[in-house]
Parts: sequence; C-alpha cells; structure tokens
Amino acid sequence: MAVFDTPEEAFGVLRPVCVQLTKTQTVENVERLQAQLQTVSDSALQGLQQYILFPLRFALKTPGPKRERLIQSVVECLTFVLSSTCVKEQELLQELFSELSACLYSPNSQKLAAVSEELKLAVIQGLSTLMHSAYGDIILTFYEPSILPRLGFAVSLLLGLAEQEKSKQIKIAALKCLQVLLLQCDCEDHPRCLDELEQKQLGDLFACFLPGISTALTRVITGDFKQGHSIVVSSLNVFYKTVSFVMADEQLGRTSEVQAKPAVEQRVAELMVHREADWVKNTGDKLTILIKKIIECVSVHPHWRVRLELIALVETLLLKCSQSLLESAGPLLKALVSLVNDECPEVQAQCSKVLKHFADQKVVVSNRAFADILSENLHSLATSLPRLMASQDDQGRLSTLALLLGYLKLLGPKVNFVLNSVAHLQRLSKALIQVLELDVADIKIVEERRWNSDHLSASPKTSASRPRGQIQRRYFRFFSDERVFLLLRQVCQLLGFYGNLYLLVDHFLELYRESVVYRKQAAMILNELVVGAAGLEVEHLHEQHIRTNPEELREIVTSIFEEYTSQENWYLVTCVETEEMGEEPTMKQSGLQAITSSTQTCQVTAFASFSKPSPTVCSMNSNIWQICIQLEGIGHFAHALGENFRLLLMTALYPVLEKAGDQILLISEAATGSMMDICHACGYDSLQDLINQNSDYLVNGIALNLRHLSLHPHTPKVLEVMLRNSDASLLPLVADVVQDVLATLDQFYDKRAASFVSVLHALLAALAQWFPETDSLGQLQEQGVQEEGSRLSQGPATLENNTTTADDIEQFLLNYLKEKDVADGNVSDSDNEEEEQSAPPGVDEDDTGPSVEPPLPVQIQIATDVMERCIHLLSDKNLKIRLKVLDVLDLCVVVLQSHKNQLLPLAHRAWPPLVHRLTNDDPLAVLRAFQVLRTLGGECGDFLRSRFCKDVLPKLAGSLVAQAPVSARAGPVYSHTLAFKLQRAVLQGLGPLCERLDLGEGDLNKVADACLIYLSAKQPVKLQEAARSVFLHLMKVDPDSIWFLLNELYCPEQPTLPHPNLHPVQLRGAPGQQNPYKANVLRLLQELP
Amino acid sequence: MWSPGYRTPPSMAAMLPPPPDPKFVLRGTQSAVHALHFCGEAQVQGHPLLLSGSRSGLVHIWSLQTRRVVTTLDGHRGRCVTWLQTLPRAPQLIRHLEAHSLSPLGFGSQGRDLKLCLWDLAEGRNAVVDFLCLENVGFCRGSILAGEQQRWTLAVPGKGSDEVQILEMPSKTSVCTLKPEADAKPGMPMCLELWRASSSLRPLLLVGYEDGSVALWDVSERKICSRVTCHTEPVMSLDFDSQKARGVSGSAEKALAVWSLDEQQALQVSEPDPRCHLSCFALTV
Repeated sequence: MAVFDTPEEAFGVLRPVCVQLTKTQTVENVERLQAQLQTVSDSALQGLQQYILFPLRFALKTPGPKRERLIQSVVECLTFVLSSTCVKEQELLQELFSELSACLYSPNSQKLAAVSEELKLAVIQGLSTLMHSAYGDIILTFYEPSILPRLGFAVSLLLGLAEQEKSKQIKIAALKCLQVLLLQCDCEDHPRCLDELEQKQLGDLFACFLPGISTALTRVITGDFKQGHSIVVSSLNVFYKTVSFVMADEQLGRTSEVQAKPAVEQRVAELMVHREADWVKNTGDKLTILIKKIIECVSVHPHWRVRLELIALVETLLLKCSQSLLESAGPLLKALVSLVNDECPEVQAQCSKVLKHFADQKVVVSNRAFADILSENLHSLATSLPRLMASQDDQGRLSTLALLLGYLKLLGPKVNFVLNSVAHLQRLSKALIQVLELDVADIKIVEERRWNSDHLSASPKTSASRPRGQIQRRYFRFFSDERVFLLLRQVCQLLGFYGNLYLLVDHFLELYRESVVYRKQAAMILNELVVGAAGLEVEHLHEQHIRTNPEELREIVTSIFEEYTSQENWYLVTCVETEEMGEEPTMKQSGLQAITSSTQTCQVTAFASFSKPSPTVCSMNSNIWQICIQLEGIGHFAHALGENFRLLLMTALYPVLEKAGDQILLISEAATGSMMDICHACGYDSLQDLINQNSDYLVNGIALNLRHLSLHPHTPKVLEVMLRNSDASLLPLVADVVQDVLATLDQFYDKRAASFVSVLHALLAALAQWFPETDSLGQLQEQGVQEEGSRLSQGPATLENNTTTADDIEQFLLNYLKEKDVADGNVSDSDNEEEEQSAPPGVDEDDTGPSVEPPLPVQIQIATDVMERCIHLLSDKNLKIRLKVLDVLDLCVVVLQSHKNQLLPLAHRAWPPLVHRLTNDDPLAVLRAFQVLRTLGGECGDFLRSRFCKDVLPKLAGSLVAQAPVSARAGPVYSHTLAFKLQRAVLQGLGPLCERLDLGEGDLNKVADACLIYLSAKQPVKLQEAARSVFLHLMKVDPDSIWFLLNELYCPEQPTLPHPNLHPVQLRGAPGQQNPYKANVLRLLQELP
Repeated sequence: MWSPGYRTPPSMAAMLPPPPDPKFVLRGTQSAVHALHFCGEAQVQGHPLLLSGSRSGLVHIWSLQTRRVVTTLDGHRGRCVTWLQTLPRAPQLIRHLEAHSLSPLGFGSQGRDLKLCLWDLAEGRNAVVDFLCLENVGFCRGSILAGEQQRWTLAVPGKGSDEVQILEMPSKTSVCTLKPEADAKPGMPMCLELWRASSSLRPLLLVGYEDGSVALWDVSERKICSRVTCHTEPVMSLDFDSQKARGVSGSAEKALAVWSLDEQQALQVSEPDPRCHLSCFALTV
C-alpha cells in the first residue's frame, strides 16, 4: 500500500471519503475513511487533522437518534487519528473532550447511558488517547478552573464505569483513563514534569474530586475478592496516586491562608476547593477511615500482587503525605510491618526494601510523630498480645508477632523511646512473659533419666553435630508452632539489639526475681536479649546503630550469670529421690504416688519448690525447665561474648559441668549443649579440650566445695563429668583433687557415700580405659607371678625358666616393660617399680629391699587408695551402694592387675567382706560379687585358689545342688526369676574361674558334682548350656576324670580294653534312651580330645 | 590468696572455727612454693601480677585476672628460689609499660644456687640481664632500697657467717660489709630490711639474727645503732613501718614480737597493743 507523505497527496486521497462521510453517515463510510487513513503518514495526517476530524465530529454532533454501531466506529476512527497526531489547540481539546464524554451520557436518564460495552470501551480509549495527544502546554491550559464541570463529569462517568460495569476490561480501561485524566498515568514523559506552581494549581483543581474518587475507589477495592486482582491493583494505584498528589505535604505546605479568587464564574468557583488547614484536617480524617478500610481488606487479599500494591500505597502515602495523613500513619505502618513476613517472597522482599528505605531515610527516626504513633501501636499491640495469642490460630499468631517484630524493626534505636516509659515497658514485658509461658504438666520431663550413666561420653558426641542455635523442644501453653517461638526470640533479640540493655536486663531480672511464675520466661527473654545485644542473629535495618560494647556486655552477662547460678536458682528440686538412695524403693513408691495424684490437680503456676516439703510434678518440671533455660542461656552468653567468654570460664564452667552430670535427661542434655556452645565460642576443639584446658578452674571449684560438702552436695558430679569426658592427660591435673575426694569420703562415708561411690566408679572406669593392660603383658606378668608361686609346686613355668638363662628372660622382660611404660607415658615413675617386680625370684632379694621402693604411677596409687575405701564400703547397709562398690572393686582389680604387690594385700583384705557378699547377701549383690571374683581369679589365681576352695566353693556348690530340683521342676516363667539368673551366672562363671585357678582334683570334683545335675534335659535350656560350658573348661584342666565322670552318667558304649590283661571296667552310666543326661553328655564327649 | 596447707587437723577443727575458704587456689607450679611476691606495678586490666618461686628453681608469673601462669622462667639451675623482689624501675622501662600490655617489669630472684638473678621482662623478653654471685649458703633473703638516678642499694648476707653485705646496684659495687663486733655473737643474719627514715637520706638496715635479736644498723657509719633481743629462737622474718617507726618480727618459736624505734634510734620491745594499727605488715615464712 502506498504511503502518502505530503498533505497534498493525502488530501487528494482523503477528500472524497470525507465528503462521502459528511453526506451519509454510515459505518461503512467511517470504515472506508479509516482504511484510507492507514495509508497516510503521520506528518501528513497532522496537517489534515482538523479536516479529517470534521466529518467525524459532525457525525457525533448530528442531532437525533444515532446508531450505536456508527458512534462506536466514529469514536474508533477518531481515536486512530488522535493517536497519530497531536492536538495543538486548547479549544479543540476541550470540544473533543466534551463530545467524547457526551457519548456515554444519556441526557434523559441523567446518568450513564445504557450503551454497548464495545462503545464504552471505545469512548474510554478515545478519551485516554485524546489526553495523550494534547500537545505540550495545551494540556496545562486545559486544566483550568473553567473546565471543572466537564472534567468532573468525565471523572464521575469513569468512576461509574469502574464501579458498576461487569466487564473487567472496561473497568480496567476506565481506571487507566481516570489515571490519565488526573495526569498520573504511567507512560513516559506524560505529562511532562510539572513545576511547583503547576502542581499546586492542579492539586487545587483535583482536590474537589478527591472525595468522589476516593470513596468510589474504596468501594471498588473493598469489593468482592472475585472481581480479579488487576482491578484492585489498578484502583489502589489510582487511589494512592491521587491522594498522594492532592494531599502532598509539599503542596499543602505552601497553601496560603486566603484563597486567591480565580477569575471564573460563580458556579464554577463554588466547586473550587481551597486546601487550607481545616480542609486538610477534615479530608485527612475521612481518608483515614477509607484507608483503614482498604488496609483491612487488602492486607489479607489472597493475591500477592494486590499486597505488593499495598506496599506501594503505604510507601507513597507515608513518604509524601506524612503530615497531612498523620492519622493514617498508624494503620499504614501496621499494614507495612505486617507484610514483612508475608508468605510470598516477592512481597516480603519488597516490604523489607521499603522498610530499609524508610530506615535509611530516617523516616521514623527523624519523625517524632511517627515514632509516637509506632510506640502507641506497639503499646496497644502489647496490650492485646496475650489475648490474641490465646485466641488466634497459629497463622494468626504468626502474623501478630510479625507485626510486633516489624514495629520494633521500624522503630530501631527509637525503641528506647518506648522502653523509657514505665507503662510501655511493663506492658511489653508482661505480654512477652505471658505469651512465653511454658506448659509444665508433662510427666515425662521428670521421668526421663540419664540411665546410661556409664557411657556419658557417648552423649556429647552425638550432640556434637548439633547445629548451633537449635534448642530443646519446649512446650508452650499458648502455642505449639515452632515458628511462633522463633518470632518471639527474634522480638527479644531485636529488643536487646536496639534497646537500652541495662534497662532491659534490670527490668527482666527484677521480674525473674519477683515470682517463680515469671522466672522461666524472664530467663528465656534475658538469654535472647544478650544474643541480640551482641548483634549476632539480628537482621538490622539501621546500620548506624552502635552495638553494645563487649566490655559492658561482659559485665551484664556476668550479673545475669550470677543470678542464674545463685544457690536458690541453680539448686532446685528436680527429683523426688534426691540423696536418700538408701530408702530408694520406698521413696520411689511415694514419688510415683505423688506423680499420679498431682497430675490431676496440676496447676500451671509453679510453686517455690525450694521450701515445699513435697514438690509436685509440676513444680519439678518447672524447675527442670528453669535449669535448662538457664543452661541454654549460658551457652547463649558464650556465643554472644565469643573469646571474651574465656574470662568467665573460671566461674561458669563448674556449674555447667555440675549439671552435665545431672540424672535428669533434659538437664544433662541442656548442659552438654551449653558446653558445646562454650567450646565453639571460646575456640576449643572438643569438650575434652575444654575440660583439659580449664581443669585448673574446675579442680579449684571442686576442692573448695568439697570443704563444704553439705552445702555443695553435687560437687563429686563435676569430677565425674570431667573424668568421663576427658583422657589420660587429665589425670595429673586431678590427682590432688582425687585425694581430696577420698579424704572427704572418709569424713562423710555414712551420709554421702552414694554420690562418692559413683565418682569412684567413674574414676576407675576412666583409669581402666586410659591405661589399658594389653593381654600379652597381662599374661607375661602372670607368668612372672606364677614363677614366684610355683617354686614350691614345681609348675611348668619353672621348668621353662630353667631351659633359658635367667638373665635372658630378665633382660627381655625389662626391655619389654620399659617400652611399654614409655608408650604409656609413665617413664621415670614406673621404670624402677617394674624392674623390681619382675626381678627373678631368689636373686639378691635383700639388696633391693622395700626401703628404696620407688613412687608408684599415679593411677596405681589412686586405684590402691580407692580399693582401700571399697573394702570398707563393701559392707555398707545400702544395697545400691554395695552393688556400686562391687563394680568399683572390679575395676580396681583390673587397673591394679599389673601391680601385684599392691593388689595382693588389698585382695587379701577385701576377701572376708567379699565372701560375705557371695554367700550371704541379696542375689543381685551375689551376681556382682561373683563378677568380682572372676576378675580377681583372672588376676591373681594362685592367691585365690585355696581361699576360694575353702570359703566359697562349698557354699556355691551347695546352693547349686539345692537349687537344681527347683529349676528342674519350674515352668517357663522361672527364667525371669533372680534365682535362675543367679544359677546361670554361677554356672557361667565357675568354668573359667576353675580353669584359671587350676583347682586340684578334689575341688574339681566338687564343682563337677554340683554341675552334673544341670546336664539333665529337665533343666532349663540355658542352664544346660551354662553347665556344658563348665565342663568344657574342666576338661582342659583334667580331661581324664571328666571323661570318667561323664561316662558314669551316661555311657554310649563300653570301652574296649586295650590289653586283655587289664580288668574290664564297668561304667555305671545306663545307655538307655530315657537317660536325661544323654544329649548333653554326648555333646561333651565329642569335644573331649 | 595463697595458703598451701589449709586443711585443719581434726583435733584443731573441734576447737577452732574452720579457716576461711581460699578465694582461689593457684595450681600448676608442680613443686613447693618458697617465695611469693605481688607486682602491684605491672597490672593487667586492674589485676596485679603475682610472682612465685618454686623449689624446682622455676619462677612463675601469674596473672590474677585469668589466675593462670603467664610465663615460667628458669634461671636457678633447678635449685630452690627463696626470694623474689621487683626492682626499682628505670624510666625507659616505664615507657615500655605503656606500650606493652604485659609485665614489662624487672625483678630479682634469689636462689639456693647462690645466685641472685636480675630479670627483664620488657617487650616480651624473659632473660636474665645480670646476676650476682652470693657467698652465703644461709636462708637469709636480701633486701633492697631504691636510690637516686636508677641506682638502688641491695643488702645480702655476706661471706662471713654473721656478715651482711651492702652493694650498690646495678653496678654491683660493694659499699660495705656489716660485721657485728666480735663479742656480740648474734649468729647468722636471718632476715634483712633496708629502709630510710623520711627525714634523712641515710639508709638504715634492720637485721634479725639467729640468736633472736633484732639490730638496727646505720649503713653509712657501719655500726649498730641499737639492738634488742625479742625472741629466744632465731628471727625468721621481720617487717617495719618507717612512718610509724614500728616493726614486727616472727621467730621459730612461733611468736611475734612488736617493737618500736624511738627518736634516739633505739629499739624497744613493746607489749602488743590490740588497738595498735600496723599499716603494713607482711611476713613470709
């Protein structure tokens, strides 16, 4: 298609069409014109603008009824022309404006004409295009007071369309057009930048539409969610653009008191608004109502773009109209702040950006009024917080807290302004405390025990991988969602970050002291305050904010720490059976009763259990939580102070270790977590490192507290935890305190033996683990001992000795032991000792007399001392202690196995009480005693043999024989009884012991006789098994007699005589199928070589 | 702070209230401590340093803030350290104090290896700057008195068993030897205290002798001004307040004696007055 560039050519083409149209106004003619227009260039069209417009306008103006279709096409054509040309005359602009707007108006009904949607859309487009085509300053001259009626007409038309139309397209177009009409459209350089005066004039002009626009748009915005988000977005856009233009502080600040009389007719002048103070106030109030409505509706709008637009609204209004819309600032800020934690990331990001922008611009900080509003909001929120937390669902709680958090973020350093008011601080703190109330009714908390006390070192290892910041699961009364707690923590951290830490800490410490009801929550808050103050986990908006100086922070932490670890806050009743392990069974009984009875009437308010004679489950739970929170707090403090915390280790480590040894699982876990935190903060590699490096502090605490054991009954636990979590390098550091412990035990053996025995157990277990005796060495030494012992009995070892020179063996042993000891790290100490011990017997014994006995290695000395105590405690009247002591004794023997000179005399002294345990005690004790006996038999067999045969064997054999008929008759339940376990343990232990002790024939027969009965098929299977094991061991000692014995019981075949001269042997064992011993005897005979 | 044997024997415990708890027990010297000295001058964040000398010949410097050993010095060849004393500091050392946070101090240590070592710890050094060989094998500790222009006077037991030697430091020039008159026979000097009356510049020396007497020497004139016998056993330790002109001495008989000095520079044993106030008293055994 040809393009006509010059007006002349174009004119030639267009003239016939225009004439045609003027004559007969039909849709076809209009379309023809439009088709021709396509071929004309823009510049040519501009020249012919008036000419082409004429027939179109004529068509619109022709009186009489018109067909809608025609009008629509005319308007469309008009729009096309306008989109390609500029309107350069004000008059034309005004006229076109009126003509177009008139298309939608029916003069008869005085309202929007009922025309087709297409026409409406075309007219809206036309108006929009018209305004865009206005050239340069024309647009400004258009907006003069005299246009008011016509403009108002158009505005109300468009509002009507936006509000009432069904079609989404029309609604949006109308809103866009309105925006254009009010010179707020989004296109580039339209309108061109206005100077202040022009803005003011326009503002004055638009001010009269403000009520209409704002109310109508509010209706649209708060309408049905289903109308589609884009309409709401556009409405919001127009709303805030209009409001922010008319109510801009910038313009209002310059409004003169006296209205300049515009030179217009009276009718128009009445429409004009003078934006003086009163008007601003009234309008502001009314707008506030609308804004509140909008925010209420939009902030929960399901579509995120709407919420995003709301942020833009808040931002624009707060930035531009902070004075005029002061009343609305509260709701606006609230809306903004509550969107900080919006579920949609875009909204969140935008919101944070705006908040950051506000903070950077110091919108709040520099604006006293805003700070006032925020603090008022904060206050009212704090007031309603407990109610909201109790009544809302988790989502509601989250948004409420997000709001609180947002206020604090926005206030930033200004938060002190709020905190300095006593009422505000009270309100806020009470709210936090109420919300953070824990649910302490759970019985499990008290019941869960650290049962695996023998393997404590396992627990820190598992928790070593625990990421920092993760804390124990808490159960709150008002909420269960973890995120709620997270938000609350953030709130506290922000307070700590921005607030006056001294003030806050004082306040919450006061609450902490005030009542048990507040204590846990206050401690939680204090913990987070400190973390916040260190600025570690706070996302901060106000960059210039100065952090608390580390020195001050350390002082504050020290004061909180002292409060936490004071006698009445650290040593709380957490379990029923505190120290009275003697009356354990009865105490436990009453404890259980207390648990069951108190859960019924459990009040959440905890009691000061310190003074209560019988603490309830609730109060104990509460105490446990309090300790846990405080422990966690110490971890937090370490985290907050970092390396600076090292100076506090002197006082802090001891109480934490004390709690790490607590028998309540939660407490011990919390303490371990706290230790891990300390480790990380102070730069230690591991718990072991932490303990070893700081053992001087710990040992000092232990030593001092041992002096007042009644005041510090938990002292031994600290040592226990130290031992369990460390290695051999700790031993020299604690050696002196171990002596203190033993000395204190001597002083208090009647009252506090239980806690000491467990330390001794830990100590010996540690020693046994740290200084393991390798098998080869043990055997070698045993051989050495046998040499000594067997000089009389002409044992095989002596024979062996004779074949090699004594010097060779001596040299070999010496070298071996030396190397071994070097490897163990006891070079100088043990050298001589070993030398002396392993010296071959009979060689100048007098020269190396006992007078020059060298010092023993530390661990041997300790084990000797401990074993000494065990001998006394073996006959303690408390069964639990006796059992524990037997365990310790067992370990002592293990540790001392290489030092027979120490072990043997002690074993000699331990013998009588041990025999008593074996023969005359609770079955449990018998079991453990037997275990000791086995270990002892393993270590000093010869020494034990005669004593065992004389004191123990007869009784054991007797009891086995006596018990056999019972077990043979018993049913399957028998295997759960103690008697069964006792039988089994004895049978299992006897075999290796007999072999080890190298029993003589007579004693061996005693054992065999006692065990034979258990080979019967009538006995429980496990006892048969155990009995078989006895015989397997006995076979190694004396195979012949055992063969004979077994054949006496059951004889599978009569032996054939090797020589006819020998007497035939008649074995008594009956070969019948019914023999109950058949199966076991056959199996044993197979094993026999 | 320091109390090596604080545990009361059981028989005593019944009669006496238990001794107060130590605030902290410093551990880690690994052998018996024979000399202690607070360094008030060299402070780390408001906490003084403490010097301790052990039987194994090591000198430990303790920070009382962390309550841990900061430095360990070995200069007495494994022989027991018997005396520790900070030295009057030279001006340039004071400047170092400002620049350097920890212990720019000089101190002397006397050991049973018959050596008196002078240490300089400025700028992280820990070396013996100088040493002085002693000629007396007794247990008597030295005493020092600061003089003018970085000079100071040192009193140590001398070569002869009853002599006290006065030296000018740091040049180590022997000033004089104080030997009691032949007929006095006070035995060995057991403890020394150099001081100077506020009115004069003349250094005076208090010496506790083996026979239980305390003597006041005028160092410049090398004569005993006054001597008083206040103990029946050797004097083990003494201290003197030059302001109030009163002194205390302790002896092997487990008794303290209080004595004073009148205007004529005569020592007089006084009955211990319960109201009497001793502004400074330090005894170390």
